[in-house]
Amino acid sequence: MDFELTDEQKVWKETIIKFSRQELAYDIAAVEKSGEFPWDAWRKCAEMQILAMPFAEEYGGCGVDFLTTVHSLNSLGYACKDAGLVHALTTQILCGLQIALFGNEALKLRYLPSLCRGEKVFAQAITEPGSGSDALSMRTKAEKQGEAFILNGSKTFITNGPMADVVIVFAVTAPEKKTLGGISCLVVEDGMEGFSKGKPLEKMGLTTLQNGELFFDNCEVSCDRLLGKEGQGAIIFNESMEWERSLLPAVHLGTMERILEISVKYAKERSAFGKAIGNYQAVANKISRMKMNIELGKGILYRCASLKGRNKRAPLDASICKLFISESLKQACLDAVQIHGGYGFMCEYEIERDLRDSIASTIYSGTSELQHNIIARFMGL
Amino acid sequence: MPTREKIRQFIMNELVADGSGSELSDTVLLIDSGVIDSLGIMSLLGFLEENFSIQISGEDLVPDNFATISTISDFVAQKSL
Repeated sequence: MDFELTDEQKVWKETIIKFSRQELAYDIAAVEKSGEFPWDAWRKCAEMQILAMPFAEEYGGCGVDFLTTVHSLNSLGYACKDAGLVHALTTQILCGLQIALFGNEALKLRYLPSLCRGEKVFAQAITEPGSGSDALSMRTKAEKQGEAFILNGSKTFITNGPMADVVIVFAVTAPEKKTLGGISCLVVEDGMEGFSKGKPLEKMGLTTLQNGELFFDNCEVSCDRLLGKEGQGAIIFNESMEWERSLLPAVHLGTMERILEISVKYAKERSAFGKAIGNYQAVANKISRMKMNIELGKGILYRCASLKGRNKRAPLDASICKLFISESLKQACLDAVQIHGGYGFMCEYEIERDLRDSIASTIYSGTSELQHNIIARFMGL
Repeated sequence: MPTREKIRQFIMNELVADGSGSELSDTVLLIDSGVIDSLGIMSLLGFLEENFSIQISGEDLVPDNFATISTISDFVAQKSL
């Protein structure tokens, strides 16, 4: 596979880096303290058509291929320091991909244009208080009654949940069946009777991102809001994880590239015992490991995104990609804090925020432990 | 080797949890009996696409198509037309 950047990819990357530095360079600490979502930045990103990139033009999208979308998110992760905002944008794109891949024409026409314009905020609701990595052991039920499903249960930690206008809800529709045929996806809108949203939950990182609980109490959802077919939920979940495990690592890899740049600069400028600290192997080795992991990460990310862009299956590649890049990011952030010493521990240098944000990357979209399990299964274990 | 036997062999070797040699008939309910679970279906789809040069997406990705060796075999035949 040849991963030389095309002219189009170069333009997108350069444009997004320039845009981020000009328009997204706000005081993140102040937004974190306010507890508010950075709506102004969200709208600017929507105007930049970041949310519209991979979707067909007839639904308001840009019709850009998936690998180019991944390159662009990589640039956003590099140039935008607000990982919470970038995660919210990525979640929106992922919800759009689910609708584009599995929704009927009516659902696509109804939701994709407003998703692309960022006018409506989308979330996907899978995780529950009693089921995280074992997502398909969910208990939220959707019982079919006539032409509607009656939805009961609750979801938690849902990204974009507290501010969501539209939620793709995964629920059990056939409890007697094994998970593979017993789960379905329903599209629920804010304002529907029986649907309510909790307040944003406080977190150690990704502070500007809004995560929260969603509650369904006899919420009536008409059958025309079924995404895909009845019983297709587990397969939609599997499929969407492959896309998600390319999109999120693209962002993480961009963040790693920024961390590397900051660390190299500091290691050259900071002196100790008469020479730049980068001359000491203990420091240089940390930096060389960052560089090595970035280059290795690019290989698996581009391969994965290229496969998905050609509608090929990539569950193993996606798990390796997610596991390797998220763990590498966490290690890079830890090393960057160490290289910067006391300054790294101070909020002013902003590396501590990257470290706090990076912890979540090894948890969401399937923990590192789950990725190991998936990889092992593909090895026949 | 006929399609049906190729599929059977893959499931026996890769998806039967304990690797036991007991035969799988054409009509054993693979999902309901737990032979194919949510991770197993990913392996199976990859195997089918690679070995029979077919692409499986969208509406084809329904559990009914993968319920038994017989339905999988019929599905592959239909996709190969």
